[in-house]
Amino acid sequence: MFRSMFVVTVIAIAGAIAACAPVQPEREYVQRDDLKVDPEVRQFLVVRELLQSRVEQPGGGSLLQIQFSVEAYEDADLEWAVTWFDDAGMRVPSVGEGYQPAHVLMGQTRFFGAIAPHERVTSYQLHLREDR
Amino acid sequence: MKKLLTLTLCSTLLAACAAPARYVDPAADDGAVTMTMDYRDFERAADDAVQDLLASGVVDNPSGERYVMVVSRITNDTMQRIDTDQLVKKIRVALLRSGKVVTTTAVGIDGAEDEMNMAARELRASDEFDQSTVQEKGTLQAPDLSLSGKIIQRNHRVEDEQQVEYYFQLSLTDLRQGFAVWENETPIIKRGPNDSVSW
Repeated sequence: MFRSMFVVTVIAIAGAIAACAPVQPEREYVQRDDLKVDPEVRQFLVVRELLQSRVEQPGGGSLLQIQFSVEAYEDADLEWAVTWFDDAGMRVPSVGEGYQPAHVLMGQTRFFGAIAPHERVTSYQLHLREDR
Repeated sequence: MKKLLTLTLCSTLLAACAAPARYVDPAADDGAVTMTMDYRDFERAADDAVQDLLASGVVDNPSGERYVMVVSRITNDTMQRIDTDQLVKKIRVALLRSGKVVTTTAVGIDGAEDEMNMAARELRASDEFDQSTVQEKGTLQAPDLSLSGKIIQRNHRVEDEQQVEYYFQLSLTDLRQGFAVWENETPIIKRGPNDSVSW
C-alpha cells in the first residue's frame, strides 16, 4: 500500500514538472536552398515562416522583399544575413556584408524583413547563425 | 647581467604571446563589440536607411530617369571625432548601384564636392584645348533630392554599467517643393562596462 502510494506520488510530481516545462516548438528542419540555419541555432529556435513578395515601384519595376519569423524556446542571441542573387545566380551586392544581431526571448516570435538592393534580384539565401 | 637576461627573456615571452596583426573579413567578423561607433554600426545604419528608402519608392522616378541627389549637411552630434562620409558614402554607393539615384558632386553646402566640375569649364577660354572636348554650357544637372541628417549620442549609467545610444537620423528633401519625402531613424544601443570609453 505504502509502496503504491509512493509510486503514484512520484508519477504525480513528474507529471506536474512536465506540465510546468515550457512548450517547445517543433524542431523539424526542412532543407531549403533559400534558408540555411546552423545546427547550433536549430537547438534554440525554429523558423516559423519565410515569405517573399515584390514591392511595386512608381517607375513600373519591383523589388524583392522577404520576411521571416523565428520562435525561440529559450532566450537567445542570433545573427542573420541575406545574400541576394540575380537571374543568373550571380550575387548582387548590398550595403553591408555583415550579419544583423538579434535577441529573441523565450516563447517570443520575432519578425524580420529585408528588401533587395536592386530590381534584378530574383532569389536570395537567408543564413541564421549563432551570435559570435 | 643575470637580471638583464631575465628581463629580456620575459619581454620576449610576452611579445610572443601578443596577438599578431591580422586582417578582418567584414562578412565574418567575430570580434568583440566596441562602445564607440565602429564600421559595423555605420554599415547597419546605412543598410537600414537604404532598405527603407528603396522600399518607400520615393527614389524611383516614374519617368524612368534617375533622380539627382545632393548631399547636404550631416551633423556629427556625438562625442567622437568621426567622418560622416563613413555613413553617407555607403548610402550613395547603394543608391547608385540600385540604378535609381545618382549623386551630384557639382553642388554642395560648402561648395562643390568636386571642384573639377567648374575647373574643367574654365578651359573654354584656352586655345590650348580642343574646344569640342570642353564641356558645353548648360550641361550640369541641378539636384532633385537632398540628403541631410544627424548622428546623436547619449550616454547613461545603468547600475554598474554604461549605456551608449547612437541615433542615425536622415531626411530626404524634394527640392522642388521643400518637403521631407522620406525620414528615417536607426537607433543603435550598446551596454557595457563602465571602464569602456565611448568617446
